[in-house]
Amino acid sequence: MSGCKEFQVEIDVLGSLLHSLFHFVHSGEEFSMNKLSLWLVLLGSAIAVSSCAIAPPKDAANSRSDCVKNYQTGVDYFPNKIRLKDAQGFTVDYHKHYKIVSVNRPWKDAKTQFQYVLVQCGTPTPTGFKPEQIVQIPVRSVVTLSTTHFVPLQRLGVLDRLVGISNFKDVTTPAISEKIQANQLTEVGDAGSLNLEKILELSPDLVTTFGTGNPKQDAHPKLLEAGIKVAIVAEYMESTPLGQAEWMKFLAVFFNKEAEAERSFAETRQRYQAIATQVKAVKLRPTVFSGFDSKGTWYMPGGDSYMATFFQDAGANYLWANQRSPGSLQLNFEQVYDRAAPAQFWIIGSQSIKTHQDVIAADSRYQGFAAVQSNNLFSPTAKVNAEGGNDYWQSGTANPDLLLADLVKIFHPELVPDHQLVYYRQLPK
Amino acid sequence: MKWRKPLPRSLLLGVLTGIVLLLFALSLAIGTVSIPLSDVMTTLLGGTPTKPGWGTIIWQFRLPRSLTAMLAGSALAISGLQLQTLFNNPLAGPFVLGISSGASLGVAIVVLASQQLGWLYGDINIIAAACIGAASVAFLVIMTARMVQSAIALLVLGLMFGYATGAIVNILLQLSSAQQVQQFVIWTFGSFGGVTWAQLPLMAGGIAIGSAIAFTTTMVLNVMLLGETQAMTLGVNLNQLRFLVLLSSSILAGIVTAFCGPIAFLGVAVPHLCRGVLKTGDLRWLLPAVMIVGAGLALVADLLSQVLVRSSILPLNSVTALIGTPIVIWVILQSRLR
Repeated sequence: MSGCKEFQVEIDVLGSLLHSLFHFVHSGEEFSMNKLSLWLVLLGSAIAVSSCAIAPPKDAANSRSDCVKNYQTGVDYFPNKIRLKDAQGFTVDYHKHYKIVSVNRPWKDAKTQFQYVLVQCGTPTPTGFKPEQIVQIPVRSVVTLSTTHFVPLQRLGVLDRLVGISNFKDVTTPAISEKIQANQLTEVGDAGSLNLEKILELSPDLVTTFGTGNPKQDAHPKLLEAGIKVAIVAEYMESTPLGQAEWMKFLAVFFNKEAEAERSFAETRQRYQAIATQVKAVKLRPTVFSGFDSKGTWYMPGGDSYMATFFQDAGANYLWANQRSPGSLQLNFEQVYDRAAPAQFWIIGSQSIKTHQDVIAADSRYQGFAAVQSNNLFSPTAKVNAEGGNDYWQSGTANPDLLLADLVKIFHPELVPDHQLVYYRQLPK
Repeated sequence: MKWRKPLPRSLLLGVLTGIVLLLFALSLAIGTVSIPLSDVMTTLLGGTPTKPGWGTIIWQFRLPRSLTAMLAGSALAISGLQLQTLFNNPLAGPFVLGISSGASLGVAIVVLASQQLGWLYGDINIIAAACIGAASVAFLVIMTARMVQSAIALLVLGLMFGYATGAIVNILLQLSSAQQVQQFVIWTFGSFGGVTWAQLPLMAGGIAIGSAIAFTTTMVLNVMLLGETQAMTLGVNLNQLRFLVLLSSSILAGIVTAFCGPIAFLGVAVPHLCRGVLKTGDLRWLLPAVMIVGAGLALVADLLSQVLVRSSILPLNSVTALIGTPIVIWVILQSRLR
């Protein structure tokens, strides 16, 4: 309760300072730069001191119903624990009343790692950590800056705690649209152009975002500076579809929803592997390539990438599977043409290419590809909303089983006769 | 480098032409896909190489790419030479006048706003937008040139137009999705590889018109070397000259930026290089020289961007800047240290 008292004192100090300043200005005293600057320094320090009081008092946690009432040492407050199967980018260490979550690869070639100390509220905070690392759990309100977190949050059953998202126009997830309709969400802007004031006004327990390593695009430095707890979700760094989907468990530990995450991911994983096992037996693997030429550079998924894993699991012969790289290869048109001209399928990643004609219009030399001649052109643009928001980037990550089924439908339709394409579609002639 | 006995200029031009032809041949033979020299020869002589796909690579990819590089290099060099002479300023070039920034703005509008406006996104639209953008800024510069007498003032105004268009581009970038931003950023890297046979005549035609205007101004522009006041007393119609030079430069730089993206420093560096080699400021010699050297340097930059780093293609714009800046620095040091 000491926090409240301090808060009161600071308000008093600030009030009296303002009052004196007002008095000083109106008393007709001779204007002195020295005096004024002294006042300004005092005023500045008062504002700086009082700003910590604007954040909600930490001890209020005691009144929460989901907090531990009578803390006892030795009691394991987290009976449900996560067991990671596919994800490589994070770990969770369980202690009796807190969890240490580490993000090992927050972005490409990252020099920093992130460690979060998730403390069950109502229990003591372990020492030896910086204040910005400490997050009181379970988290009661969350703002998310990435659309890929929508479906995992929904499956964890914590969508009611979502209070803010980046922008409304990209939303393709029905449950989120409903929340927008019901005025339960606030737009806080993209990670690169964050509306910090709105977030401070919402004052969420946690902001989930992603990191790029580029200070211009990243939201977390500013948020941490403002005293907001941030979780960096680096699912896009995983090179396997299941690994990406498993990051749902990372979100789960902040809500004590381990059991839900374990169950939900196990189901997804089982469906994915059932399809993959079925495909393993195929004799003929059709040749496939991906990417698109952008002004002389063709970005082709590397052999260790997410897309390469999908092609492998879907029973295709990916032409750059042997070029070991987790990211994109930078090729030029002639290299791709040299290898992929006779390839049977072309999975186009570019969303601006909508039809077969668009392909030819972009560069007439694409006509030299067999896949273009036979119109075996597919792109994950079946679920794009009017504003250009693509559900592939939203719920796709959480549904690797559906994405795999789509690709198997493309390469080996006889194996999944009942499946209808969900995310992918053939480009219309 | 000091010539003991200066070679005749015509011989020098001949040697330079020979080097460019060699580079041209080299650019057809060297690429990211290794094709044996014999197969390259067979293909160029109309035969079928060992692997039929190689024929397509040479005819459809390398040949238009090399021709584009030569055209673009020449065009930018002519534009730079004209502007440097007109403004009597060694740093003048198509970028300084905001013409390239205008083209960028046009492209930014198409790439970044196409989704919102529901326009069809395509290479043709980008080219059209870049031309319109370059022409708009050039028009503004030409209009102000009619009102403002001082060349320096005009140069500063050009810079300001550049900054303003750059600011609008930044605002558009801020409002766009990551994918659109990436598309735009890739465009700013510049490339000679995006021009197909179907587009090449259009590009060549535009550059031919721009160069023709440039050649007509040669004699008058030569008088400008004596200084503006001197030129005016000799009966040079300054307003008309400015108009023609700006028109020609805008066409040349606008077309190149439209088809290849912004290509930095070739326009500024090549005239300096030619003055250094030919030891003259006479435009009758310099104009053909910058065309030849511009073409050659563009071919070198394109080759370097492809072969310098294995498994990656360097942004052409950066390669030209890295080649161009030392040349400009060398020229400035040469003239100041002596």
